[in-house]
Amino acid sequence: MIVSSKIENKLYKVEKPERYIGREWNQIKKEWTTQKKKILLCFPDTYEIGMSHLGIKILYHLLNKQEDILCERAFAPWIDLENLLREEGLPLFSLESGHRAGDFDIIGFTLQYEMSYTNIINMLDLANIPLYTEDRDGSHPLIIGGGSTVYNSEPAAPFFDLIFIGEAEDFIIDLVNTYFNFKNQGLNRKDILKKMSKLPGVYVPSMYEVSYHKSGGVKEFNPKFPEIKKTIKRQIVNDLDQSFYPTGFLVPFMDIVHNRAVIEVARGCTRGCRFCAAGMTYRPVRERSKERILELAEKILEKTGYSELSLNSLSTVDYSDIETLVKELTDRFSGQKISISLPSLRIDEFSVRLAEEVQKVRKSGLTFAPEAGTERLRRVINKGVGEKDLYQAVRAAFNSGWDRIKLYFMIGLPTETRKDLEGIVSMVDRVKKIGRQTSGRRTNIEVSVSSFIPKPFTPFQWVAMENRESIEKKQSYLRNNIKGRGVHLSWNEPDMSLVEGLMARGDRRLAPVIEKAWQKGARFDGWNELFDFSLWEDALHKSNLKFSTFISGYSPEKCLPWAHINMGVDREFLYNEYKKALSEELTPDCRHEGRCTGCGINLLFPEADLYAD
Amino acid sequence: MLIRAEFKKLKPVRYISHLELMDTFRRSFRRARLPAAYSQGYNPHIKLALGQPLPVGMVGFSEYLDLELCAQIPASEAVNRINNNLPQGIKISEAHYIPDDAKSLQAAVNTAVYLFVMKFSGPVQPEQILQNFMARNKIEITRHRRNKKDRRLDLRPLLYEAEAEAEKLWRFTVSTGSSGNVRPSEVVRALSEQEENLESIPVVNIIREGMFVRKDEKLYKPFSEIIVND
Repeated sequence: MIVSSKIENKLYKVEKPERYIGREWNQIKKEWTTQKKKILLCFPDTYEIGMSHLGIKILYHLLNKQEDILCERAFAPWIDLENLLREEGLPLFSLESGHRAGDFDIIGFTLQYEMSYTNIINMLDLANIPLYTEDRDGSHPLIIGGGSTVYNSEPAAPFFDLIFIGEAEDFIIDLVNTYFNFKNQGLNRKDILKKMSKLPGVYVPSMYEVSYHKSGGVKEFNPKFPEIKKTIKRQIVNDLDQSFYPTGFLVPFMDIVHNRAVIEVARGCTRGCRFCAAGMTYRPVRERSKERILELAEKILEKTGYSELSLNSLSTVDYSDIETLVKELTDRFSGQKISISLPSLRIDEFSVRLAEEVQKVRKSGLTFAPEAGTERLRRVINKGVGEKDLYQAVRAAFNSGWDRIKLYFMIGLPTETRKDLEGIVSMVDRVKKIGRQTSGRRTNIEVSVSSFIPKPFTPFQWVAMENRESIEKKQSYLRNNIKGRGVHLSWNEPDMSLVEGLMARGDRRLAPVIEKAWQKGARFDGWNELFDFSLWEDALHKSNLKFSTFISGYSPEKCLPWAHINMGVDREFLYNEYKKALSEELTPDCRHEGRCTGCGINLLFPEADLYAD
Repeated sequence: MLIRAEFKKLKPVRYISHLELMDTFRRSFRRARLPAAYSQGYNPHIKLALGQPLPVGMVGFSEYLDLELCAQIPASEAVNRINNNLPQGIKISEAHYIPDDAKSLQAAVNTAVYLFVMKFSGPVQPEQILQNFMARNKIEITRHRRNKKDRRLDLRPLLYEAEAEAEKLWRFTVSTGSSGNVRPSEVVRALSEQEENLESIPVVNIIREGMFVRKDEKLYKPFSEIIVND
């Protein structure tokens, strides 16, 4: 059944109907035949968020490059379309061919954000697919997951048949073919999963059992069968130049969040900020060569018609040869009015000079992330930025013609005191003052203050999340003290942070909680206008669970809910970093100081040609 | 150099908005490597102007755009190159160079032709209804305006012609633009207020068939010589 043809002439009833029509430039629509292996990539958030995600685009183009694979997309329908589909008795459908999601052989979900778990089960439900892996068999599509939050997917794990841990480019084709081989041999779903769990990076949640302490936490996490591996090691791409990267990117009609050409210039980061899960879980650092980047840029811009090219990575300014790269890119493309953008800047004058170079064509805002208000707290989180560095960078930026600056801070960090908050206020005041002095124009300062959530696989993975009352007090202090013309303050809803903490740090007992919240209407929990805390309180209560079990910290002696996942960074290193944090000690970046900090990543991936120069 | 092109916006892309359509064109011009002219300033963009926005959900058979080029290429070549780079559902039909000082589309185009796919809840006589409708001296409706008070408006002087091409396919030629704008939904509303067997129809049942410059009771395409040399 082609669902899209039944719903197309009713789409005028929903908000932003262009989310659901597909047909973008460079869309790949293959002939739907029985011989093809059919894969649906599902992104559990809106089109404009999902289409800004690089991972799903890499996989879409990579899978479609295979002649015998047909790969299409679906995004979470906004509630208006969900209601319309349910009223009309129509299921979730793919954008390309409009087929029912249930008609595909494999459905892959991007696990990009903890707050999208209700959307995942909502999409399964809209596809008439049982939510739990235990209720599915060979007649249902294989439900797989992958993405950045696989470091702890436990709260959502019971919904998945398998989860891939790590970077999928070099493994996904093999995984798909293995599945079809077993399926064609006539094996049942359970046996297939058991066999597939032997593949590198493949985590089959149903092959493990978990026991719990009476006091709350995880007691033991064990394979159900002797042949099942005890820990699942994250897989990585060794050489970015050799790995697949698309050039014929989809070009959405809609103005999506990141509406530009993107080249991932490097993966991984060794700065070692102690709050940052990405910094710990995407190691080692691997760079794409300058030659390859230039070649990709040429092709991507030609095939998409984009006028902006973003050089992405966790810390693009740290790319080895960034100055030459930027210079060659601007030399080659500024004549075509193509602007280059860098997603995040280091706090120094070098970065501002670089930004000046890249933004010759178009000037957008500049973002700096001091993260904390005092040198002391920045030492705790290993963000070795001096206050002077920030003021110099800001002065340089205002001098070069920028009048919009964004500053990122966090509150609720371990050891934080009143002084650290006062530090945020005085830094913002000082930046405001510098703006007035140097530019003479009206400057715009956006201050974003998010609440810290201790994430798995960071040195702070054991610590407690700050309680709501205390976060609220801090937020109101900042609201009262950061104001005035040209300054705009934004913050996270404390209730939403609590649920995010729960999902980031929780274990399998939360799956029924997610289900209960969803049944009562929880959708798009990361969206302020739809988030409803009472649904979560209620669902937890009904499951006889408490927030505190998951967010009040875990004892270093006990088993963490994510202990069976090996992301590559040593537990001992993380624990040592935690102790160094408490004694306000910095750990240098091994790439720049040339001294190994012992994170253990090089031992896990000896084959990766690290820092080859 | 200014080039004026007529294009279709068809069903596959009927839900994309006016601004999204402009972005889509700009990217297709870039893919086509057209010698487009750019605006100056901090955020340079291709100089492109479209006529009256087409409502989201409505198909347009004959829409127009003006594009400024910085080097002359044959108009037919421009059409081919753009069409090769446009997504399915948007297509340039023809294009002509116009004088740099020609009136803008928004200023020149003053007439639109709409096709309505009607819905009836009982028997109707289309010719009779339309005759009665156009014979009225006054056709008052309430116009709803965003962030402004509703206002009463007489549509009659803004309606030029009405005909039934088939029983359920009605064509209206109406005034559009700054000198008096008729929204197709208002025509439907006025009709259903007059005739009880006419149901209201959604935007997807309306097609904008043409956009014209009306001069001495005659309709001209906006790149006709008589118009651009005016």
